[in-house]
Amino acid sequence: MDSIIRVNDLVKRYKKSERPAVDGISFDVKEGEFFAFLGPNGAGKTTTISILTTTLAMTGGSVEIAGYDLEKEAKQVRRQVGIIFQNPSLDLELTAEENIRLHVSIYGLYGYRPFYRMMPAAYKRRIEELAEIVGIHDNLFKRVKTFSGGMKRKLEIIRSLMHKPKILFLDEPTQGLDASARRSLWDYLQKVRKEENITIFLTTHYLDEAEGADRVCMIHRGKVALLGTPEEIKTRLLGEKFMLLDAEDRQGLKAELSALQVPYTETDEHLKVIYRERTPQRLLSGLTVPLKKLDVHQPTLEEAYLNLVEKGEDAR
Amino acid sequence: MNSVAAKEINAVLAITAREITKAVKSPVLLIVSIIFPVIFIGLMGGSLSQNMAGNLGFNYLQFVMIGMIVNNMFTGTVAGMSALIEERDKNLTQELYVSPISRYSIILGKMIGSSFTSLVGLLGILLVSLAMRIPLGGMHIVWLFLTTPLYCLVGASLGIFFIGFVQDSKAADVGSMLIVMPQMFLSGAIIPIFHSTGILGFLAHLMPMTYAIDLARAVFYKGTPVYNQVVLYNPWLDLLVMAGFFLVFSIIGTIMFTRSERNR
Repeated sequence: MDSIIRVNDLVKRYKKSERPAVDGISFDVKEGEFFAFLGPNGAGKTTTISILTTTLAMTGGSVEIAGYDLEKEAKQVRRQVGIIFQNPSLDLELTAEENIRLHVSIYGLYGYRPFYRMMPAAYKRRIEELAEIVGIHDNLFKRVKTFSGGMKRKLEIIRSLMHKPKILFLDEPTQGLDASARRSLWDYLQKVRKEENITIFLTTHYLDEAEGADRVCMIHRGKVALLGTPEEIKTRLLGEKFMLLDAEDRQGLKAELSALQVPYTETDEHLKVIYRERTPQRLLSGLTVPLKKLDVHQPTLEEAYLNLVEKGEDAR
Repeated sequence: MNSVAAKEINAVLAITAREITKAVKSPVLLIVSIIFPVIFIGLMGGSLSQNMAGNLGFNYLQFVMIGMIVNNMFTGTVAGMSALIEERDKNLTQELYVSPISRYSIILGKMIGSSFTSLVGLLGILLVSLAMRIPLGGMHIVWLFLTTPLYCLVGASLGIFFIGFVQDSKAADVGSMLIVMPQMFLSGAIIPIFHSTGILGFLAHLMPMTYAIDLARAVFYKGTPVYNQVVLYNPWLDLLVMAGFFLVFSIIGTIMFTRSERNR
């Protein structure tokens, strides 16, 4: 797969700021990839996405999006991307459909018409199709100010997909949404991603949202701290994978673990077994003693992330 | 749509329509468009007319009505352009700034949209004028109305010039009032400025509204006996100065505004 986003030594220093908000980061995103950009508040996520979406000028470095240079060919870049901003960017006084009609008109997809009924059939088909996917079909002609936070997000998704972008930038898209709205929004996004075959660039600090990404880039204090698949990051940051085991015949269990050359530590409650290279299944298949306790610890991205942030704090 | 020009024109049209749709849906605009003329023509103009304008030699209320028409265009368009700052702060315009259109198209669409909404204010002025039995001058008022887009564009360009140097919405709100109010008093909208000298005369010459009001009166009073009593300059000079203000304000304002958007 070719890279659709190439970021090379990107630097952004705000006016009157002592240190750069983004300090020489480099990464690339493959076409069709789901790429998550993680970091604590103030890490440089929004600054980076603002630069990539052409709303903020960079101080140094170079960025190429869909083959276009970000600085020299900003207009072409804008045609290739769809954006869902951190805070909804909608006209609350207009209806959902009016917001979308404004979007397609400024993107030059269709000539502007003052009424929906005057718009071309292709526009009506596309809007109905997307509204159906995200589930706001019945509210298309209602004013946006009557919408819930989740509905506004869904409307932004429809709007951002109308011009069939190659890349969808999502800047903390579920901020302020409750758990159920977040889940339903992600279901829609995954569905849309499959149907539209687009690259997703996500910034978030909800770690569970990044678990489903193809690759994760962790940014801390303006620098790339880690880049890889969620599994790679967990392994590199946490290192230790373990199981908690116990048996009525604890002595027998200890003997078998020793025979298998598996290191463990013992507490009153259980044996803690580090499984590093071996999978839990392979390790367990070597045991014959009946177990009364089995707890396989799967490290999460959240732990890896907290580990990273704590390391950063310690290094200050 | 294939040509770049067609896409830009379409975008300007869409942004203009957005402004008009929003204005139509807002009852506040209609209420304000009635209240302002009542205050300035009815109360202020009426009181000045009764107490101080007896020997002017022309109908003072008619004179104020024309001044207020232009002032209304300026106030509406400057406020409309200043709203760009508030819309930016509230994230309402991010969508426009990431779209593949020229910044000039965004500003022009906003200018034309604000101009249309300012024209709604004319309705209020007409109603108040009719209620006060101010002579509308037959076809003269029609010619005047046909020139109102010019005053709107100059007002809007002043607005964009102003916000090119302002970063926050509170400063934009207060500042837009501060750049319109002095013009209302010094440019001849309400008070004749034939005898303005010194610093007040100098300021009057610097103000774009002075030339806009003078052009409006030249159009309205053309061919009437009081023309020389109410018009200051040759209307072509007014037009030339207005065109100069429009170009300089629009270009510098748009460059400064878009630069401040990206170069933070």
